[in-house]
Amino acid sequence: MSKRSLLVGFVAAVVVQALILVAVPARKVYTLRTGKTVVLKIQPVDPYNILSGYYATLGFDISRVDAFPNAHNLTNESSAGFADGSWCYAVIEKGGDGIWKPVSLERELPANLPENRAALLGRINGNWIKYGIEDFYIPEAKRSHLADDLREHRDKARVEVKVDPSGHAALERLMVEDRIYE
Amino acid sequence: MAMTPNQNMSTKFRAALRTELPIWVQKGIVSEETEKQLASTYQLDNLKHESSSLLSAVIFTLGGLLLGGGLISFVAANWEVIPTPIKLALLFTALLAFHIIGFWLWQGKNWRRLGHALIFCGCLVFGANIGLVAQIFHVSSNWYAGFGAWAFGSLVMAWATRSWIIGVLVLLTSFLWFLGFQYDNHDQAALFYPLILAVSLLPLAWIIRSRVLYTGTLLGIITAACVLAGVHGGSRQLLLTMAAGGMFMWTLGELHRAAEWRSEFSNLAAGSGLSVLAVAAYVWSFHYLWNPSVFGPMRSQWAILFFVLTIAASVLLWRKGRQPQLWLTTGVLVVGGILCASALLARADAANGESLFTVTANLAALILAAVIIGASLIDERRAVFWLGSLYLVLLILSRFLEYETSLLVKSAAFLACGVAVILAGISYEKYLRRHIRRIAAETGGNGI
Repeated sequence: MSKRSLLVGFVAAVVVQALILVAVPARKVYTLRTGKTVVLKIQPVDPYNILSGYYATLGFDISRVDAFPNAHNLTNESSAGFADGSWCYAVIEKGGDGIWKPVSLERELPANLPENRAALLGRINGNWIKYGIEDFYIPEAKRSHLADDLREHRDKARVEVKVDPSGHAALERLMVEDRIYE
Repeated sequence: MAMTPNQNMSTKFRAALRTELPIWVQKGIVSEETEKQLASTYQLDNLKHESSSLLSAVIFTLGGLLLGGGLISFVAANWEVIPTPIKLALLFTALLAFHIIGFWLWQGKNWRRLGHALIFCGCLVFGANIGLVAQIFHVSSNWYAGFGAWAFGSLVMAWATRSWIIGVLVLLTSFLWFLGFQYDNHDQAALFYPLILAVSLLPLAWIIRSRVLYTGTLLGIITAACVLAGVHGGSRQLLLTMAAGGMFMWTLGELHRAAEWRSEFSNLAAGSGLSVLAVAAYVWSFHYLWNPSVFGPMRSQWAILFFVLTIAASVLLWRKGRQPQLWLTTGVLVVGGILCASALLARADAANGESLFTVTANLAALILAAVIIGASLIDERRAVFWLGSLYLVLLILSRFLEYETSLLVKSAAFLACGVAVILAGISYEKYLRRHIRRIAAETGGNGI
């Protein structure tokens, strides 16, 4: 193998690795730049283990399938549509308190949603829906402070999320009362 | 596992030869001309350089691992005072620095081992960077997706730099991806993983003549096939795949030797195949593995492929192979055949088969122990003999501990095994001495 072809192969490999590193957050960056801001109330998944290592595992009002009024009908109509691993769109609406509430579950992305509504792409896992915003990375220095804050003021904890036109969501910040964690 | 007919080029043997040769010349055992021929044949002049470069390779790789580990820890420590763009710039700079300095040392300065060690570290940093970038942007994808991205990026680098150790990194990271992927409702797509491994890593191992990467990839393929079979198929399917995979690896290893296609791959590949069969025969020698409740549906895709490949390799082996190695292959195929037939027939006779198939699995394990001991006699390799003997003892003692027998019987079994091992060892040593005397007589009493 000549030196030139070795060099070309090596440069190509470095470029591939760099592109992968760019691709990892690309979707999130796009969503953060173009998305609509929604605020979701946090429901702790495991109140005894809020922090799992470097992450807080979050659940929301919209994380349970049965939180959506039409979920039962949809399941009866065609259970295959909501089998484990299937995708869905969760339509949510802005409430009077600024928190976004569950409205309906859809199989297709709804067109022409009004300004006070948004649709999030999620994946069904049993009675849970995952939107890709469940893991919040916590800086080491803030870890114990956030854990105490979440334990003491669980009802006041919420997240600010961006939702882009295709339904992808990106976590922007976590708030407990007026304290912001990014 | 029969020994290659190639000369012994191990560093240990050549170092001993280098020490002894001047003494032999001084005593008149060999002439100076013969000394030069031996020194040339065994490349004794390169010995000093080789041992120092081996040491430096170990030190460089260790240093690289520590550097990579330090960086990963630095990533985990999190540095929130640094703004995101600067964090990203630092990550990319670290990645490029390892790779570019590594390549410059490898190609520019001809420090091959140090260069490779740094590029390997660059691949570790690449994996750490994936984790950190995901943290910065709160990317909460499936945990295994990161390993998939790491494996793909490292695979491209392994090919670009012809590096076996980066190939091993690809093997490990891609296997973690596979475990997560198949568990996450992707059973059908995950079936292709062993094929992807074969296509992406076996040609690389072949080109760079890496025994570790070649055998590791084959073991990865068989292990992945076993995971796929065992998760849904249960005990019977797992045994079928393990036995077929073990036979395939053995025959492939023997074919490498007989056909002289990369014969350096043969010992490790055949030995690994034998180990897979030994584990399968031992585990299924316990009667509760044959309980019908642990049987699931058959998922035989990979087991069938291993069978077909075993048959193809065996046909070629019988054309090119020689006795007594073919006897060993016959023994291995009989063991694999018994285990596969037991796995296939177990369901048909589920009501009464438990005791029957426990006996057949034990019979397979006994034959395998005999094959291993037979290989040690053919190869004159003491370590293989003791491995075979210990396997046999383990099998016998397991049976005595598995079934309810009185303490007196158990004690007698332990004593009998101990005496048998000692007698077998004495017999083996006598055999080796007789064999050496016979060779000495055939070579005119010189023995060198």
